[in-house]
Amino acid sequence: MADEPLTPEDAAADAELLDTIAELWNVLDPPPEDLSEGVLARIETNDLDAELLTLVEWDKELSGVRSVTMLRAPDEVGTWSLEYLGPGFRVQVRISRSARQARLDGWVVPAQPMTVHLTSMGKNSTSDETRVSDSGRFEFPVTPTGACRLTFISDPSGSRPLVTPPFWI
Amino acid sequence: MVIISEGSGTEKSAEGGARWSASAAAFTAWRDGDREALDELVRLLSPTLWHVVRATGLDRASAEDVVQSTWLALVDKADSIANPMAVAGWLCTTARRDAWKISKNLRRELATEDDSLGWSLPSMEGPEAGVVLREDHARLRTCLTRLNERCQALLRMLAAGPRPDYAEVSDALDMPVGSIGPTRARCLDKLRVELVSEGAL
Repeated sequence: MADEPLTPEDAAADAELLDTIAELWNVLDPPPEDLSEGVLARIETNDLDAELLTLVEWDKELSGVRSVTMLRAPDEVGTWSLEYLGPGFRVQVRISRSARQARLDGWVVPAQPMTVHLTSMGKNSTSDETRVSDSGRFEFPVTPTGACRLTFISDPSGSRPLVTPPFWI
Repeated sequence: MVIISEGSGTEKSAEGGARWSASAAAFTAWRDGDREALDELVRLLSPTLWHVVRATGLDRASAEDVVQSTWLALVDKADSIANPMAVAGWLCTTARRDAWKISKNLRRELATEDDSLGWSLPSMEGPEAGVVLREDHARLRTCLTRLNERCQALLRMLAAGPRPDYAEVSDALDMPVGSIGPTRARCLDKLRVELVSEGAL
């Protein structure tokens, strides 16, 4: 059976009903709050021509794990850990937040000479730099807040930088 | 014969129309070198892409992944979009195709007896649990659940974004192209009957 041509009134009524169905679905199945941030982070990673580290462990207290691309730390003060897996090494990250500021401590296992950048990803992006110590430690005593990522550049440089997916401080 | 045309001009509402125009403007600005316009474009259209992808039956984590890879494809292929008004349609079509490919594979792996399982309205577990629906939404939901799953799937898909072309729907729902128009009309009619019986129309 061929479609009967829809009159403009019928078409408008159909469109209205479909709009209401779309509204209902937006309530029943809302997009993740950080959907757009995750997209922008992914685009940025792609632009950097970097390789993404894989998040392998995170604290259950880190809410927002519905979206592993964008871990969101709870708003309270406290300490949270993350662990990433890269080619031939692991990175453990501990974020400690007090009322006024946050610090980030990291361990690279096995230890290897690398430069680490901590970059905030907001509009006024900032970047701090430090070195991995002989024992594999690195630290950022004062961190930016909001969405951040870590970038690891091996010595001697030449291989692609490795970046973590964004996480929240 | 279908009078409503396919393509970028199929937005259903004024609100949708405004969104497509805004996205066309943002797309043009971004291609002209304004990097922040891409942020705006992403924020404008990602929610639409989400619903387009979820309407294929894909789980939330995979859906988020498809939305992201769709944007990467746009960044990669922006030059191939001649008409900025077509950007929303291009994104939705790309997302829908990827999502269908993935959800078909997943369903094949699951090999459920009821192939339409993935299309049904979500159960009460999941992100919608605990959502208190407005009265009209609650009634609409009740009425939707009384339709068969094919109708539910088709209406969700058609509601989700710019209309997919019927060849794509046909492929996804295993329906002949020629039957989609009449099925759409039948599903909407049934829904109206249900809404009338609930006193909602």
